[in-house]
Amino acid sequence: MLLVVTYSRAARRTLRNACKTHEETVVRRFGRAALLADTEFGAFLALRLRAVHGSDVQIERTRPLNEFEAVPEPVREAADAYADRDHPSTPYAKFAVGTDHPDPESMKARDL
Amino acid sequence: MKITHDGTVLRGRALDVRDLDVSGRDVVAAVRGAASPVAIDAPTPGAIHERVGYVRPGMGLSTRTALAVAARSLGHSAPQDDEIAAVEVKLSALSCPSVSTRAARKAASDRGTETERVRERVAELRGRVQAARERGEEPAELEAELATAVRELSEVETAAAAARETLVAAREDAREARDARERRMRLEDRRANLERAARAQLVERVDGAYADAVTAVPGPTPADPFKADPVTAALAIGRVADLAAPVVLECDRFESEGAAASWLDAPVVRL
Repeated sequence: MLLVVTYSRAARRTLRNACKTHEETVVRRFGRAALLADTEFGAFLALRLRAVHGSDVQIERTRPLNEFEAVPEPVREAADAYADRDHPSTPYAKFAVGTDHPDPESMKARDL
Repeated sequence: MKITHDGTVLRGRALDVRDLDVSGRDVVAAVRGAASPVAIDAPTPGAIHERVGYVRPGMGLSTRTALAVAARSLGHSAPQDDEIAAVEVKLSALSCPSVSTRAARKAASDRGTETERVRERVAELRGRVQAARERGEEPAELEAELATAVRELSEVETAAAAARETLVAAREDAREARDARERRMRLEDRRANLERAARAQLVERVDGAYADAVTAVPGPTPADPFKADPVTAALAIGRVADLAAPVVLECDRFESEGAAASWLDAPVVRL
């Protein structure tokens, strides 16, 4: 999908109007951003916005995450275990100490 | 005021210029100091003149905004003014560098396409060299061509990798530059909210006088003064405001230009 983020009031207004006019191409709308369908028309809308508003429009291409394909098992397990921790106030870095769970720094250093 | 056009000179507080070959637009331009075939000697217009200084059928008018400007012409201010000024100062101090990564995107794409083309050429030449050998030939010329293509592939691959790195760096620069734009937008939103609040406060100072003025405009009176037609609203706002510069009227609400001038308490040019 195409993520369009606006950085000016005028660009935000144009995005809002485009989203209203082309609901079928809008996957999701957020205040000043929108996810557009990964179609030529979605790209057309996004590029038209950038042609008008230049640097005030950021366009990124996103894709759904399948964690079973893209995320190593220890990371997935750590997320589940941390969500299920006994003491809600324990920060993750502390939680991971002395366990098999990866520490935050090494996770930050590894790209998916 | 004094109006000069093509040898004719008119003087007075209320002037009918329908006999002169000038348009309302020409007169307004002259009042506002812009280039015009007609010359006017009259007090300089303030901000309110932009709103209600040229009254004609079909004119656009944002009633509340114009009323807020009218309130300011009378010397009213809003409690938000200082904060609006502070936001303006912050906004003008903010610099928002361009964050275009277009050149880097284009270069990365072009280098990628080029690499693909050379890679295909290398594969094709390899196939032909192998086929020739299988036929028992010694394809020296083809082999030389292949060697050249392999060298070229290595060069374009290096260039493509460099272009990709440049793009990654450009994206990071863009992310930082967008922080400034983010701040600017937040400030602009803040200013817009403050201006809206200021406008409401200013309108409150004069809405009673405005409603009375709408009732007093010759012609039918609307039930809601904020739903008056633009000509009625503009005349009423003009009556409320302190208009020093001549008002240009292209409407037939008054018996004479003199009646209009005394009703508006402002100089009037009638067309």
